[in-house]
Amino acid sequence: MNKRVFLTGLWLIVTLELRQRVRGVSWYVLLGIFMLLVGIVTFLLWLATSAWLSGGGGVFSTIIFFVLLLGTLVSPAVSGNAINGDRDAGTLATTQVTLISTGQLVLGKFLAAWITALAFLAAALPFLIFAVVLGEVSLGTISVSVLVLAAELGVIAAVGVGLSGILTRPLFSIVLTYLVVAALSLGTLIAFALLGTATQQDATSVNYQVVSSTYDEQTGKQSDIVCSTAQTSTYPVPRFDYYWWILAANPYVVVADAAPGSFDENGSPTDLFGQIAVGVRGAQTAPELYTEYNGCDEAANGSVQAYGQGPTAQETYDGAVPSWFIGLTIHLLLGAGALAWAWRRTRTPATHLPTGSRIA
Amino acid sequence: MSATTIFGSDGIVPSGIAVTGVSRAFGSVFALLDATLTVPAGSVTALIGPNGSGKTTLLLMLATLLTPDAGSIRINGHDPVTEPERVRALMGWMPDTLGSWPSLSARAALQTTGRMYRMTREQAAVRADELILLTDLTDFADRPSRVLSRGQKQRLSLARALVHSPGVLLLDEPASGLDPAARAALRQLLRRLAGDGAAILVSSHVLAELDEMADAAVYLSDGRTASPEQVAAAGASARAWRIRSLDEAALERALATPGVVGALVQVLGVDQLGTLVQVENEASAAALLHNLVLSGVPVCDFGPAVGNLEHTFLDLTRERPARHSSIVVNPEVTP
Repeated sequence: MNKRVFLTGLWLIVTLELRQRVRGVSWYVLLGIFMLLVGIVTFLLWLATSAWLSGGGGVFSTIIFFVLLLGTLVSPAVSGNAINGDRDAGTLATTQVTLISTGQLVLGKFLAAWITALAFLAAALPFLIFAVVLGEVSLGTISVSVLVLAAELGVIAAVGVGLSGILTRPLFSIVLTYLVVAALSLGTLIAFALLGTATQQDATSVNYQVVSSTYDEQTGKQSDIVCSTAQTSTYPVPRFDYYWWILAANPYVVVADAAPGSFDENGSPTDLFGQIAVGVRGAQTAPELYTEYNGCDEAANGSVQAYGQGPTAQETYDGAVPSWFIGLTIHLLLGAGALAWAWRRTRTPATHLPTGSRIA
Repeated sequence: MSATTIFGSDGIVPSGIAVTGVSRAFGSVFALLDATLTVPAGSVTALIGPNGSGKTTLLLMLATLLTPDAGSIRINGHDPVTEPERVRALMGWMPDTLGSWPSLSARAALQTTGRMYRMTREQAAVRADELILLTDLTDFADRPSRVLSRGQKQRLSLARALVHSPGVLLLDEPASGLDPAARAALRQLLRRLAGDGAAILVSSHVLAELDEMADAAVYLSDGRTASPEQVAAAGASARAWRIRSLDEAALERALATPGVVGALVQVLGVDQLGTLVQVENEASAAALLHNLVLSGVPVCDFGPAVGNLEHTFLDLTRERPARHSSIVVNPEVTP
């Protein structure tokens, strides 16, 4: 099979899928509702972030997340019965006896599901452009976040189509696709929080305090300092630094972490991507298990120790390891693996049939 | 490979279907066990067997969808397992499940199928129009296929199997859901395709239907094909004949006379269509008719109560009563 023949057949399957699944009024109503929602969200964000002053970074990043949310909610329903639904409808086998190969069939269905999810991104485009017009959104942020978002939507489409080829019952594969989405989006957060708090360690802090002293008003110094004995206290701290990598598998974190960070002059992130990325990267830092505070030394030197003054968000961000490419790689492998498995299961002539399934 | 050059084999490749010793198990259940059959090019062969006898399994294997566990299959000389693409290019399959893309019209479905056989857009459009005429779908061609009736879907399914003018045709219950006119049209169409050189295998439960169009029959029971000897024995075995007379009383009297009814004839009973008698073979049937006419009985109808295929089918399946207790035997024929 030469390349042109392969691509012609592939595109035939894509268009057939799109005509079958997403043609019709209900689909456009759904897109219309989505646009309305994004419009409302954009307007509210514009008010909430005073975007006319601070730029469109916050609006832009939130719309991207909104598209990811809607895409991951709709995609399983569209892709999760692509193959086994056709088998139930009796249209899979009639395609398989033609010169369409299993590869064309599985890939075509995947591409159609992906294009369907990307329709949400296209519908959100006017609002994304509006956010860019507000200013302060870098070209890097625009391109990287849109590309990574598109890739993540592709991963969900691939998982859905893959599971529909692996499992016999459409309902079960749709539900399982939703569970995969939920595991990645929420499960990673829950696992991170639970594991971090379950793995607590005792941190010790030692304090020396001034019991009494004489204050010289002229020099502003203290003398005759009587120091307390060491006051030791221990308290448990969660070890999130062991588990930060779990969050790398979260699609929202992947999108946020991939976008180049943008910070204001105080080192604070200017968009939602930055805030999430700082949070995730901050979790890489181990908590200090031993702190000592000596109030007597401070009193003697007359200086106030810079206590509690941590690094800025930007310093945290820059000092940690970016994780998005690990997460994205895991996702891409997951999607590709699901498709490959579906290809194996759908190949004809079939040697093995799962119990209770009819191939016609 | 162009789809339009499939008709007319070059004579080097053995044409038609050849199945030798094919077995297939699903888990511990044997669907097919040592099935053997041939369908020569230019002929229609009926595939007959009770429900669950393996007909659909066999057709799925011929249609390159399922691999056999053992045995060999050749479609015009090609192995569906190792050369599925070559087989698909020359084989048309009409499944027993009527699947069609619900939102596509019949015309669009046929065009899409044509494109799946690598026709150009124009070729596929021309072929779809031909098939719509051929299967008499003109009035419904542009409606979405989900609104088609069962018979219309059946015709669409047949048209789809013919898109690439296949030299080998596999039809799984093609007549079910068709009205009498459509059945007659189907019969004519299949005879014409066979006349053009196609090898056609038809499975059906409407045995009288097959009687009229099939050149040969393959009987499948418990996944086994009946041997020619079994078929011959079953075909020659005693069978019921139906006699109708203008004067039923005269017929009854004549049948009660020992000289008229030979030793090999046994009266089974009378129903609204006439009198049923069990006749050992065709010679004794001829003798019976001769005697009835000589006795002055006005016979207006005299013939086998069931068709050839049905008789053989029932006889073959009756050999295994333990397995086929669910088979409904024509109550008129059961003594």
